[in-house]
Amino acid sequence: MDFEIINPATTLELLGTINELQSKHFRFGAGYSDLLMELKKKPEENLVVINLSQIKDTAFTGLTISPDHVRMGAMVTAHKIVMNEQLNKDYPVLHQAALTLASTQIRQVATVGGNLCTASPSGDIACALVALIAHCEIMDSTGKTKSIPITDFFLGPRKTVIKKNEFLNGVLVSANNKLSKNIYSAFLKIGTRRSMECSVVSLAYHIQTDDDGDIIHAGVAIGASAPTIRFAKDACDYLIGKRFDHIHQKEKEEFATKVLSYADPITDIRATAWYRKEVLYNLSKSIFE
Amino acid sequence: MIKEHKESRLKEEVLHVISFMLNERQVTCKIKSSTVLLDLIRDHFSLKGTKPGCYEGECGACTVLINEAPVNSCLYLAVNANGKNITTIEGLVKSDGTLHPVQESLIEHGAIQCGFCTSGMAMSIKALMNQYENAQHVPGDIRIEIPTRNEIKKYLEGNLCRCTGYVKIIDAAEQLFAKEDQ
Repeated sequence: MDFEIINPATTLELLGTINELQSKHFRFGAGYSDLLMELKKKPEENLVVINLSQIKDTAFTGLTISPDHVRMGAMVTAHKIVMNEQLNKDYPVLHQAALTLASTQIRQVATVGGNLCTASPSGDIACALVALIAHCEIMDSTGKTKSIPITDFFLGPRKTVIKKNEFLNGVLVSANNKLSKNIYSAFLKIGTRRSMECSVVSLAYHIQTDDDGDIIHAGVAIGASAPTIRFAKDACDYLIGKRFDHIHQKEKEEFATKVLSYADPITDIRATAWYRKEVLYNLSKSIFE
Repeated sequence: MIKEHKESRLKEEVLHVISFMLNERQVTCKIKSSTVLLDLIRDHFSLKGTKPGCYEGECGACTVLINEAPVNSCLYLAVNANGKNITTIEGLVKSDGTLHPVQESLIEHGAIQCGFCTSGMAMSIKALMNQYENAQHVPGDIRIEIPTRNEIKKYLEGNLCRCTGYVKIIDAAEQLFAKEDQ
């Protein structure tokens, strides 16, 4: 493993570095928990790593909670999410996803931006953010930003829409619906052991109900079940207007079938495609049990 | 020919000068871009208490504290140690040789067998103590109560031990917090 490293200290320096390196082979380094492993297994020649972890700008490193949304800079760590009381209260799915990510030590360094840009189909924080229909704030090397829905962010395993002259600056999550009374939100992760686990299947959901208990908002995302994390839109639409605590067996099954229609899993070392589908179907039903 | 080639490659190598606090001592050194903190601590500073286990962030034997938080030093670039405050197992011991309460507790409970995971375990338990002590003051953070046995287990999930079966290690940690409660 050998590479050159460049350490921009501000976003402005980062833009300059990206511009300069357009004709070279470079990668971004944030928490390094994935990148170093990858480079050890498969060294890349003439690689330049742009080190993001010394940038001090709060837009890149900070977590801000305002009445309309939560904004997480790309360098916010899993640990920071876990420790935040407001996030735990408003978005249990995000808190739980961050808490199940790898280990205590990895959570100190692993970042939101890293989890998204690695674009692993089994990314934990990424799956929760898809369920929350987050928006990704992408900046190009001229300093211009655009915001795209996270459902358009992933193109395939380890592929995102981010171009060579762009980087992920932060992620926005909308505040919960003002009419919402109860929030049913969780991250369900099935693996072959409890710690340091890469999901066999994961399911993230964030469902809001009004005063009458009717579902007014639903976000459901599936992980490790397809080439990318997927938002189960039909399944979400199906739930709107139903009472969360009065969903009967038939409806549960129909909901689970709709979730399953988004799955296109592979058979690998962790599980077979058949097993993943079975687990996902049952997990989907379990939301209402 | 081959020798020349090697020499020219060495010359090309970019070295970075970094400076940080290591066990409360200011240190400065020159490193390669790809040097990881674990190798720097063991090979350059000859502090062999931090153990290389898997080099993949799986086993936690290489755990050190960076600004009081536990990190796998095998996956931490030494470049990023610049300006940080780093504590290794050697830094837990007082200058007169007195062991830290974490170390005392591990010994008292017989929580050590082959000992390879022990320094990593001790650092993780110390980090949990830090988190417990500091969290009372951070606004917006989850209030941390005295960790339960299950919370201790969850916190230590990144540290593997192949000898003890964990029970005595968790006993040792639990007793530290029981003492704080009094």
